[in-house]
Amino acid sequence: MTDETEITLTVNGTEHTVEVEPRRLLVHAIREDLDLTGTHIGCDTGNCGACTVLKDGEPIKSCLMFATQADGAEILTVEGMEDLPAADDDLHPLQEGFREEHGLQCGYCTPGMLMAGKALLDENPEPEEDEIREAISGNLCRCTGYQNIVRSIEYAADELDARAATDGGAVAAADGERSADAGGEADTFCGLEDCCGGPDASGGDHAGDQFEREYLGGEET
Amino acid sequence: MSSDRERAPDADTEYQHPEDDGPEPEKHCGHGRGGMGEEVNRKEDKRFITGRGDYVDDIKKPGMLHCEIVRSPHAHARVEEIDGSRAEAMDEVVAVLTAEDLLAHDLATMPTLMDDTQDVLVNEKVKFQSQEVAAVIAEDRYAAKDGAQKVEVEYDVLDPVVDAEEALEDDAPLVRDELDDQEDNHIFDWETGDKEETDRVFEEADVTVEEDMLYQRLHPAPIETCGAVADWDPGKDKMTVHMTSQAPHAHRTLFSQVSGIPEHKVRIVSPDVGGGFGNKVPIYPGYVVAAAASYVLEEPVKWVEERSENIQTTGFARDYDMTGELAATEDGEIKGVKVDVLANHGAYNAAAQPSKFPAGFFNIFTGSYDIEAAHGSLTAAFTNTAPGGVAYRCSFRVTEAVYLIERMVKVLADELDVDPAEIRRKNFIPSEAFPYESATGWNYDSGDYEKALDKALEMADYEHYREEQQRRLEEDADKLIGIGISSFTEVVGAGPGKQCDIAGIEMFDSADLRVNPTGNAVLRVGVQTQGQGHETTFAQIVAEELGMDVDDITVEHGDTDTEPYGLGTYGSRSTPVAGAAAAVAARKVRDKAKSIAANELEAAEEDIEWDRESGEFHVAGAPDRSITITEIAAGAYMNHPGGEEPGLEATNYYDPPEMTYPFGSYIVVVEIDRETGEVDFEKFVAVDDCGNRINPMIIEGQIHGGLAQGIGTAMMEHVTYDDNGNVTGGDFMNYLLPTANEIPNFETGHTVTPSPHHPIGAKGVGESPTVGSPPAIVNAVVDAMSEAGVSHVEMPMTPDVVWEKLDEVGLSHQPARNVEFSVEDGEHADD
Repeated sequence: MTDETEITLTVNGTEHTVEVEPRRLLVHAIREDLDLTGTHIGCDTGNCGACTVLKDGEPIKSCLMFATQADGAEILTVEGMEDLPAADDDLHPLQEGFREEHGLQCGYCTPGMLMAGKALLDENPEPEEDEIREAISGNLCRCTGYQNIVRSIEYAADELDARAATDGGAVAAADGERSADAGGEADTFCGLEDCCGGPDASGGDHAGDQFEREYLGGEET
Repeated sequence: MSSDRERAPDADTEYQHPEDDGPEPEKHCGHGRGGMGEEVNRKEDKRFITGRGDYVDDIKKPGMLHCEIVRSPHAHARVEEIDGSRAEAMDEVVAVLTAEDLLAHDLATMPTLMDDTQDVLVNEKVKFQSQEVAAVIAEDRYAAKDGAQKVEVEYDVLDPVVDAEEALEDDAPLVRDELDDQEDNHIFDWETGDKEETDRVFEEADVTVEEDMLYQRLHPAPIETCGAVADWDPGKDKMTVHMTSQAPHAHRTLFSQVSGIPEHKVRIVSPDVGGGFGNKVPIYPGYVVAAAASYVLEEPVKWVEERSENIQTTGFARDYDMTGELAATEDGEIKGVKVDVLANHGAYNAAAQPSKFPAGFFNIFTGSYDIEAAHGSLTAAFTNTAPGGVAYRCSFRVTEAVYLIERMVKVLADELDVDPAEIRRKNFIPSEAFPYESATGWNYDSGDYEKALDKALEMADYEHYREEQQRRLEEDADKLIGIGISSFTEVVGAGPGKQCDIAGIEMFDSADLRVNPTGNAVLRVGVQTQGQGHETTFAQIVAEELGMDVDDITVEHGDTDTEPYGLGTYGSRSTPVAGAAAAVAARKVRDKAKSIAANELEAAEEDIEWDRESGEFHVAGAPDRSITITEIAAGAYMNHPGGEEPGLEATNYYDPPEMTYPFGSYIVVVEIDRETGEVDFEKFVAVDDCGNRINPMIIEGQIHGGLAQGIGTAMMEHVTYDDNGNVTGGDFMNYLLPTANEIPNFETGHTVTPSPHHPIGAKGVGESPTVGSPPAIVNAVVDAMSEAGVSHVEMPMTPDVVWEKLDEVGLSHQPARNVEFSVEDGEHADD
């Protein structure tokens, strides 16, 4: 097709240059050009939220945005969750929450729900139940009846809160910063152990540390 | 239905789960084996929470082409001409297919599950809006859509008929004029029970009540739509189709029959499926077009629906227009039930029922009650609407039956001015009457309905809300309270194969269990999960039976090249049928392991005993001389006893002797705003009995999800049409699924009444909440207004519907602030 433009998308910390038609939807660029198929499509009208990703920290429905509109943006998809600081070299507390609280069945809406939950907890680390319900009300789930999804997000909030109590809040804060600050400064946590509120040397090696160094500040720290 | 066999030959009910009404079990901590009754976290979750699920639309193959279907904007029209030349002239368009092209390969039509014949691409006449007219195959998803826009179709538009009652009038447009013997839109009549006896009971009854109710057209609307990637391999002469299928083996047989490709050269893979709920049981034209295109073009072809295509063309559910009648004594003993139904089947008879059951299991409409006389009649009609009648999260029309009887019991209770809980108690089939044969011939396996109702009443704080309801009425409060009850019985787990078949294939199911030399195992099953958690629960069954750790068992499903033949997952049949097969296969493995145990323990085989508690064999009288299946596995491959086959595996094809009958009692307390008609859920209690429980966490999740669907049914969802046959409720802007804001927190409870004929005493549970909850919700809304004479409110009970009803009986309140609205000038002024 004609009239392709070159755009840059930083997805889960990796910069990609892709040629897209102006009409190409962001969700198709993510799924088909970058092969990140964890983000799903369920409706075409912006109602179901299966395609929710974070664009510069904000939850957006990637079927309602052209890829060119995201040129230069930093995108977080479900595939990037395990690399977030709070994932602690394993699953992110939100992912853990969904497993522990049986917050998923067929799994199709789950990536979008995780993104909606992430956006909420970045803004509001201790949400009330009605705030969680409101935050995920743009995401349809046909399997769970939502109750266990609410519990899953509460689980993550508690887990992040408990960790904040032991590490001074750095990991949870940095987790939110990474997606919220597109290419911005890593002003809360430099990535070094025993420094500016970061995890102490005995706290184990955070996979996120490296992520933070590579993607947040963009510079060696 | 009765069976000439009392029990399955392999039935073994030695396993009785001790947990009954006790505290909820602890989560599986890794120290137990993860057997029956443990809350094991799901094995399938990791791939879904990390974005590694593998759904049909995630599949990408080299050279893969995309298929876009050209659909009719009209509901009823003759296709005069299709001109695909402008599309074919486009660079990236590879082909445009029409019925003519498919006729050349004998693929222009396909059989429905009810033995009708549906056009794959419209041959002469469009019969419903959005029907498949042509297909564009292109190199890219966008190019295929561009091409579809360029296909020019000339239509001769005809008058449509949308309403089933109008369709049966003499001058109605004929939907199926291509059928030689079809002179009107009548499809079939169906009848059940004893009309004469029932009429007699009604004539002699003290009281009779009657109510009309529509179970509106719904769509299962899984969040993943339907799709397929078909890949014809000309080197192997083999067709591989990855598709959103709830029944891959049956689909392979049908694919082979339709295409003429031998069945062993067809492979159906149902990968991760994003919800099914009955939507993915039938075969749809898109699958066939993708396969035909791949065959002709010798490249992989992907077809994935958009949401509007899913709702507007694939199998809808319900659309039963029902009239129910009850006959009773003046003290509330129900003596007879009558029901008459007009069923809208759409443009083809494409319901998904066992073939001998044109109205599914609708004749279970006597429900949980001991009613001596019953009669039902039904007429099905063709209309210019999408074909369907699938079992949306239910066992073949049992949802409509439960709605009918549970609504009618409430109508009768109000007529007699007795408590709806008490009238149920009075009429329940008593627990000592099981096995119980109903007036319409069903053979209920087990039940204790009063126990479930009592538990629900207690959990719901029933008496308190009855008092609160009166108080609000007396005080003329702005919000009314309504309390609804549903004490439903389901019938699930079809076969037996001699009674139930899909397109002639008997409804058994299967399991193949192989224990590896290193002591872990792979279980392959003929059913297919769309979120039900089979990879976990079936592993738990094997863990229980063989004393293995659940983590050492992998469950595989969905690939016809490797799995044993089965009929698939729908109608809550996976646990009752394939779960039974898994248990029986495990017991066969255990039998074989016994001789190896004897060999290893150097004892006579008759002295070897299985200890279910510890999950190992030991020598009789010497419990310290013991051996586990894991230890035996090595012996089976490395030191097998002479004269025996090596290896440790077994297969079971399980034909159930009977269906299973899960039940429960749901109590819903609603608060209705008399100013706006809005309905809030104050309390939502669900007590379920699905026999012995495999994984309480998964059961609770299933209940939650089904209740949410029940709320969608009762409050929001309706596939609507205008008089011209245009779908006006055909996407998520207009077909409303409940969000987290509309769904309350549910309180779940359970009782345990094992199935006497099932190897592990389990019954199946996934559909109980969708089946049982809509009448509880409607009963609650009616209950709030019943003293003012309201006997029924139609679903979906949107605020305007409820407000109209409130206003009709003088219960509406005007808003506190006086707002005047003038229809003439469209302006409103605040006073």
